[in-house]
Amino acid sequence: MEEGTFLEWLKQSGDSIKEGEPLFTLESDKAAQEVESTDSGILHIPDNGPRAGTVVKVGAVLGYLLAEGEAPPVEAGEVKPETAPANVRDEVPQNSVAVGVPARFSSEGAATISAPASPRARRAALAGGIDLSAVTPTGSSGRIRERDVLAAQMERDRSGVKWVDVPTSATRRLIAERLERSVSQTVPVTITGRCDATGLVCLRNQLKAVEAVPVPSFNDMIIKITAGALHAHPKITGRWAGSSIQFPEAVHIGFTVETEEDLVVPVLRDVASLRLSDVARRSKELIESARSRRISSSEIRDGCFTVTSLGSFGVDAFTPVIQFPETAILGVGAISREAVSLPDGSIVSREQLTLSLTFDHRAIDGATAARFLQTLRKRLESPTVWLFND
Amino acid sequence: MSSSNETAFRLGLYRTMLVIRVVEERLAKSHQRGMIPGACHTYVGQEAVATGVCAHLRDKDAIFSTHRGHGHALAKGMHPRELMAELYGRETGCSRGRGGSMHLFAPEIGMLGTSGIVGPCILQATGAGYSFKLMKQDHVGVAFFGDGAVNNGAFHEGLNMASIWKLPVLFVCENNQFATEVPFESVAGNPSIAARGAAYGMHSVVVDGNDVVAVAAAAEEAAGRARSGGGPTLLECKTYRTRPHSEGMGDFTYRTREDVEHWKALCPIKRFREQLLSEGSASASELDAVEKEVIDLTEAAHQFAEASPYPSPDSATRHVYAPARASALREGSVQSTKPRELTFMKATLEALSEEMARQPEIFVLGEGIGVRGGNFATTSGLFAKYGPERLRDTPICERGFVGLACGAAMSGTRPVVDFMFADFVLDAAGEIINQIAKIQYMSSGRLEMPVLLRGCIGIGHAAATHHSGSYYSMYANFPGLRVVVPSNPRDAKGLLKTALTCGDPVLFLEHRELMGTKGDVPEEEYYIGFGEASVVREGTHVTVVALALMVHKTLAAIELLKAEGISVELIDPRTVAPLDSETILKSVAKTGRLLIVDEAFGPFGVGAEIAARIADSGFDELDAPIRRLNGKPSPTPYSPPLEAAVVPSIEMIVGAIRDLCAE
Ligand SMILES: Cc1ncc(C[n+]2csc(CCOP(=O)(O)OP(=O)(O)O)c2C)c(N)n1
Ligand SMILES: [Mg+2]
Repeated sequence: MEEGTFLEWLKQSGDSIKEGEPLFTLESDKAAQEVESTDSGILHIPDNGPRAGTVVKVGAVLGYLLAEGEAPPVEAGEVKPETAPANVRDEVPQNSVAVGVPARFSSEGAATISAPASPRARRAALAGGIDLSAVTPTGSSGRIRERDVLAAQMERDRSGVKWVDVPTSATRRLIAERLERSVSQTVPVTITGRCDATGLVCLRNQLKAVEAVPVPSFNDMIIKITAGALHAHPKITGRWAGSSIQFPEAVHIGFTVETEEDLVVPVLRDVASLRLSDVARRSKELIESARSRRISSSEIRDGCFTVTSLGSFGVDAFTPVIQFPETAILGVGAISREAVSLPDGSIVSREQLTLSLTFDHRAIDGATAARFLQTLRKRLESPTVWLFND
Repeated sequence: MSSSNETAFRLGLYRTMLVIRVVEERLAKSHQRGMIPGACHTYVGQEAVATGVCAHLRDKDAIFSTHRGHGHALAKGMHPRELMAELYGRETGCSRGRGGSMHLFAPEIGMLGTSGIVGPCILQATGAGYSFKLMKQDHVGVAFFGDGAVNNGAFHEGLNMASIWKLPVLFVCENNQFATEVPFESVAGNPSIAARGAAYGMHSVVVDGNDVVAVAAAAEEAAGRARSGGGPTLLECKTYRTRPHSEGMGDFTYRTREDVEHWKALCPIKRFREQLLSEGSASASELDAVEKEVIDLTEAAHQFAEASPYPSPDSATRHVYAPARASALREGSVQSTKPRELTFMKATLEALSEEMARQPEIFVLGEGIGVRGGNFATTSGLFAKYGPERLRDTPICERGFVGLACGAAMSGTRPVVDFMFADFVLDAAGEIINQIAKIQYMSSGRLEMPVLLRGCIGIGHAAATHHSGSYYSMYANFPGLRVVVPSNPRDAKGLLKTALTCGDPVLFLEHRELMGTKGDVPEEEYYIGFGEASVVREGTHVTVVALALMVHKTLAAIELLKAEGISVELIDPRTVAPLDSETILKSVAKTGRLLIVDEAFGPFGVGAEIAARIADSGFDELDAPIRRLNGKPSPTPYSPPLEAAVVPSIEMIVGAIRDLCAE
């Protein structure tokens, strides 16, 4: 909490206050509480002290506890709703203790109290779509006035675009929920690494040349090689279950398909048991049924790992979001020709690819993930070996 | 009078007395049966007085009476069914169900009304006399009242005024020896009522009130004298009511059965019947036939009244005010080619002068408003033009001359009462509030009440507490009154013109500190309607409503606040009743803030009324609480620093506006 609404003094100016006695009530987080004095002394409430309904910041000076015979501060300054002026504290007499909003309230989270608002302000808030709890009253009464609402509205209009409401689809809301769950329930870390994709490109060109049916996409090839790498690094598919980590018997790999409306993640089952041509055929089918919205729920279930690609958009590296409850996701960047300096110092033109791996740090250490990424890169640089040796 | 005419006249007297008697006895029965929802004061035993007096009156002669007025109404020519229907609370009643036993109106036949208050009818008859004299008509005003009224100030003030101005008035005191249960001897220093008339230099006659011929003769002489300019007469008619004061009341705590029986034996009707028979003026069968006719008439009237519908509840507030008169020369339609600077007082003088020239029925009453031209020069120069009848210097009897004004307005003239200071007229509060304000309504709109009551208000000049009150909130509380409080010469003239042409009673209250202030006034004639506030200054941050002097103080405050960037919209309602809350609401819709600056006291004041109306109809317009800045609720002190402390100052107005804007 940063502020509260002052309700009333429980003591009067001139009352002798003992430590621990309730001093005033303050409304915070929808509950009114009595605030106890942390010191003893004679209460002095300045003329411009807070009125019922004034919103006061933590640390604001509301009154003074004076020692016997001590004069109250000469000019205490107004208790401003926004901040306690620094000079107020300076003027506190030597022995006196400022009675204010105790800091312990500040640990209680954000306040959602709204100050009382004039009827006109309420009407303006309604018309302008302004949330009164986010409006700061600036008048002497502590009440939100129309001008406060208009100021908030102007601020909003200046700081952003005008928002137009377009309703979301149920799928989109589901995706949003899943993504939200992913980031809130995992500890995601993303690492990236580059590899030489010249071999991949050559291989694909050869398959095209021999009119293989179907011609596997780079994604198909990467998925197939990833399956092998996951086999070598099973920890990457291990799911965090608190007291244990769970490992799948077979590795099913999902891949993202963008449809007209949203994102679908079909799952290729037990990729290790599939030949590249099977992967290519199956993925083609899944893509088609995803795009024609015929995909069944069993075809998007049980993924252990996901491959997602933004390569076709020229994106190199990014931070993919784990398909919760999976543990890691591989982001595939664009394959592009770049100048590469070889160990002998000669500069050649090669196909380059950047991989981004996001993993749940709870289940996987950085080194483990890095090792997996390294295996993957190596294998991708010699694709024929890893694609056709089984 | 030929003898056959004389016989017919006497039979007429007999019949009228019988009508009163039979109708009263029927009403007494109806009261007992619960058909009369309110009071019923019968006239049984006193029939000879009303009958004898009215025998020589014409329709245009105006009679006024009190709580015991059934007999007077019938004698003046009211049909019994109108009277009975009124007592039964029906639409067909003479006051359309608005009055009952004590508020009988039939202006068509010169029955200008009865009143539930003892006394005012004496002043109203005096006022009618004033009207007739001013308009040179040979009608007379007649007041019927009891012995109880002769100890009331109205009697003394009325008789004195009628006497000094030789007004055509008959004061008919029906001395029935009791006021409710109080014997007259016990409350009269001098038990001769006639002697009191003589004290005011008036013809005064004592008559046997149970001898209809004697009463008629005395009234004939008095009326003749009045019509011929001989002045008023007081008739003391000694009589006795033989039924209780009011139906249903006990009768023998203050008098004995023997007393009542004694007077019953002296019944004026029985006595006159015997006289008619012994004189040979009529035979028993002739008189029996009259009696039968009257009984049938009464029964038919009762049936008619009983069958009559009740008035519709949605007409309950109809006739509080006169129908509006539209003036062609409204303020906005007048473009002044040559505005002149006039003082406030000169502007009102111009309005009065213009209207007096146009309306011969206007006359002014006041102390020193004649040759002197008024304490504040409100009538300066008019006496020379219009003479003493239209510029009438009065004795110092505020209640008396306000009551006179009431009767004058009821009988066709337009009195202007110039009472100098509003404080003085409080002595006449009853006449204003109980009579002037209510008569249009009680007469169901058949009488208009064009009375202008003007005088100054406001604190200043160390005038202290009896020359400084502002009473507009009080008057505005009463339905039937218009209350005007102008702030500048232009408004004052236009509003006074409307006041002098409308049908309603108007309190025209002029702030003393403004009387000498100057302002532009169009040369052309113009009128400003009531209930039309003026937006004196346009502004955006806060609406201030102020009246009279406070308008000027607020204007000064507005100048000071300009430097702070505070923009004030200033509204001057100009009339407190009716109050133009529409214009105020429109302004508050713009500014969201309302302050009412009022020199008068806060509690129950005009500011409270404005605040309540705006809080009601403009709740969602408000961005801050409605604030009031009022004069301190204390009698006005004399010493200048004390005086200053009770009036809102420019500084206080500045502070109040500033605070409200900072809210
Ligand atoms: C100013 C005023 N005071 C008191 C009353 C109450 N009241 C009604 S009738 C009455 C007695 C009037 O006596 P009087 O004038 O002799 O008339 P009477 O009833 O004898 O006809 C009184 C005191 C009143 N109506 N008006
Ligand atoms: Mg009497």
